[in-house]
Parts: sequence; structure tokens; C-alpha cells
Amino acid sequence: MVQSSWRSNRLVFFFVSMFACLGLIVLSVVGLLAPVENIVAAPLNAITGAVNRATLSLSQSAEELAQIRDLRARNRALEETLAQFQSELVELREIESDYDRLAELLDYTTTREAEDFLAADVINVDQSGQLRTIAVNRGTRDGVAVGMPVVTGEGLVGRILNVSANASRVLLITDPTSAVSSRLQSSRVEGTVIGQLSGNLRLTFIPLDEEIPEGDLVITSGLGGNFPPDIVVGQVTSTRQFEFELFQEAQVRSLIDFNTLEFVLVVTSFEPIDISVFEEADEDAETINGGP
Amino acid sequence: MGRYLTVSIPILVLAATIEASFIRVFLGGPELVMLCVLAWAVNGSLEESVTWAFVGGIASDLLSAAPTGTTSLGLIILVFVISRLDRQVYRVGFFLILSLVIFATTVQFVTSSLILVLAGFRVDLLNSLSYVFVPTVGYNLVAIWPVAMILRRIQRWVRDDRVFAP
Repeated sequence: MVQSSWRSNRLVFFFVSMFACLGLIVLSVVGLLAPVENIVAAPLNAITGAVNRATLSLSQSAEELAQIRDLRARNRALEETLAQFQSELVELREIESDYDRLAELLDYTTTREAEDFLAADVINVDQSGQLRTIAVNRGTRDGVAVGMPVVTGEGLVGRILNVSANASRVLLITDPTSAVSSRLQSSRVEGTVIGQLSGNLRLTFIPLDEEIPEGDLVITSGLGGNFPPDIVVGQVTSTRQFEFELFQEAQVRSLIDFNTLEFVLVVTSFEPIDISVFEEADEDAETINGGP
Repeated sequence: MGRYLTVSIPILVLAATIEASFIRVFLGGPELVMLCVLAWAVNGSLEESVTWAFVGGIASDLLSAAPTGTTSLGLIILVFVISRLDRQVYRVGFFLILSLVIFATTVQFVTSSLILVLAGFRVDLLNSLSYVFVPTVGYNLVAIWPVAMILRRIQRWVRDDRVFAP
């Protein structure tokens, strides 16, 4: 009996609740609840707004964190790509630089068609400070011999000092032991270009009465048989003349930057002439004639 | 009655507002109000559960375009079905809770769709099933556990307070 009563109460409770809900729905649909709904909804909307803002803020923070991770990954990838491109750029610049230098050398060889040239890479620069020499990657196997002139498109570099099978050492014209018979291009006045440790050149043995215009080109004269004629040695920058001296001299600046030299041409068709035989013959003649 | 009504209003209002925020931000989420009512009903009395169903349903409906009482109707059916089971959730275990969640989501979906149609709203049932119902079942199955745990603690606290109150 108690059980039955309980069941009926529960069913009544259920139906009352259902009717209450349906009543609310009908009233809401009809619009009679609108004033109450508006009043009750106002604080709820305010709370929802606050929760929304907090949720949006959290969501944005989470998105930003994810974006930061993505950006870091992208940044790493871009840095790697950049490093790769920079490496390629350096390589391409080197190729461009080599191309320019080789093109200059090629131009030079076309202006001197009578001579044979052998291109060589500079593989070593003498770091001792007392000597001005460089090493190139051509030797006896390539037909290089001692005394052969070495040039670039900008002028005379030096001459082969010694040779191995696959490399040669070049005595630069800036070395103090180097002496090149030269002449001024405009006045044809002759002298000798001597190297200096400072890297400059000195044109000496110029008669006092000769005028030396500044900026005039100094070229090889070919006298002495060590170098072929008409190779540019440098340019006159200043002159010096003392009355008590027998000769005047000029400072000459080579057009070549020896510190950045990478490619050179060995003039293989030129054979240096050894005139020491004639000097010995002169000494012998003086001895026979009773000279000093 | 007063004690658990006082507790139910802030909890259900908060649940309704969080639910609304989830829908706005993540375009979907668990039905927190329904889960709260379900979690309360499995351990609470029918009288308490019906109160929770009314309060929660009205709070949800006030934050949506649905007529007031739509959600309450589904929740009332749910709490009476749970009351009819007349068993404790700790005894029925894991699978019954999952079944109750699926049943509750289905009842809620069917009743709200029906009332919306009757109220003159256009409801695309096929799309609602795939884009609303199925994901919501998934969210609810996950969210029921923390919700049930929290509400169980609150329920104990309310009852203890009632027992030891002078």
C-alpha cells in the first residue's frame, strides 16, 4: 500500500514537473515570459560575457603559444635556408670574382698574341716580410722555367725564381733584390725599377736633365734580356732630384695589388738571355789589355 | 531544500555560462548543465534532482534562443529515469554511467529538437546529428568524470552540513 502510494506520488510529481515545463515553454513561445526572461537573463549575460572574455583570452594565449612554437620552427628552418643561401652566395661571388680576373687575363693575352701564356693560381704568399715572393701551381711539368716573366692584365708581377715539378716561386718586382730595366712610356727615358720592402717601386739611374712627368707609365724596356719589352711596370707618383747626385729617381706605384693576387700568367714563350757570358768576356779582354 | 537550492544556482549558472563560452570559442563542447544534473541525480533525492533540472534548464535556456523550459523538460525526464533505476552510481559502475550519459544526451537532443520544431524553428536533423549530437556525446563522455567527482564532494559537504546543523 505504501509502495503504491509512493509510486502514484512520484508519477504525479513527474507529470506536474512536465506540465510546469510545458507551461514555461508555451508562455515563453507566446512571449508572456519575456519581461521576466529579460530581467533574469541580464546578470546571466553579464557573467557569460566575463567568462567569455576569460575563455577567449585563454584560448588566444594557447593559440599564441602554438604560434610561437610554429614561428620558432619556421625561424630555424629559415635560418638553415639562409645559411645555405649565404654559403651559395659566397661561392657564387668567388666564381664571379674568378671569372672577372680570368677575363682580364684573357683580354691581356689577346693583346699580346705573339706570346704564349700559361695561367697559374697563386698558392702561397711569402709571409717572412723580408722577401717578396709568391708561389704558383705550375712547374716544370707545365713547361715553366727559371727566369720566365710573370704578368697579369695590370702589368708585370715578377719572374720565376725557382721551379719544382708542379709549382714555382715568383720573385715579385717589389722585392728589394728585383731590378727591371724600364723606360718611361712618353719620354722613352730609360732607368731601372728596383723593389722596396714598403711595397713601392723606385725608378733609378735617370739622367738629371730628363723630365719625368708624374702619372707617366713605366714599361719594361727589354734591355738586359730578362723581360720582354712593353709590359706595364707601374705609374710614376713622385720624383726626387738632388744636385749632388748623378742621377734622379722617381717613386713608382704598381697597378697590381700584390696582396690580393689570385691568378697570374707565366710568359712561357719568353726565354731570358744570359748576358753574363759577355760580362766575363769583357773582364778577360781588360786583363789582356792590362786594365784593372 | 534551501541549502541545496542555494548551492545549485551558482553551480548551474556557472556551468551554463562556461558551456556557452565553450560553444562560442571551440564551436562545441560538453553539456555541463546536463552533466551536473545527471551527476547530482545519481546520488541525490528526486526532489533535489528535479530542482536542479529546473534551475539548470532555465539557466541554459536563458542563454540561448530556445524557449524557456526546453532544456528543463529533457532534464526532468532524465532525473525521473535515473530515480526509477533506484541505484547508486558507485554500485552500477563505469558502463552504466557511460550509458546514462549517452541516454541523457539523446533525450536532451530529441526533446530540444522536438520543441524547437514545434516552436517554429527550422531544425536540420541530419546535420545536427553529425555536427552536434555525435561530438557532444564524445565531449560528455569525457567530461562526466570530473563533473561527477566535483559534484559528489559538494553533495557530501551539503549533506554533512545538513546533518550537523543545529
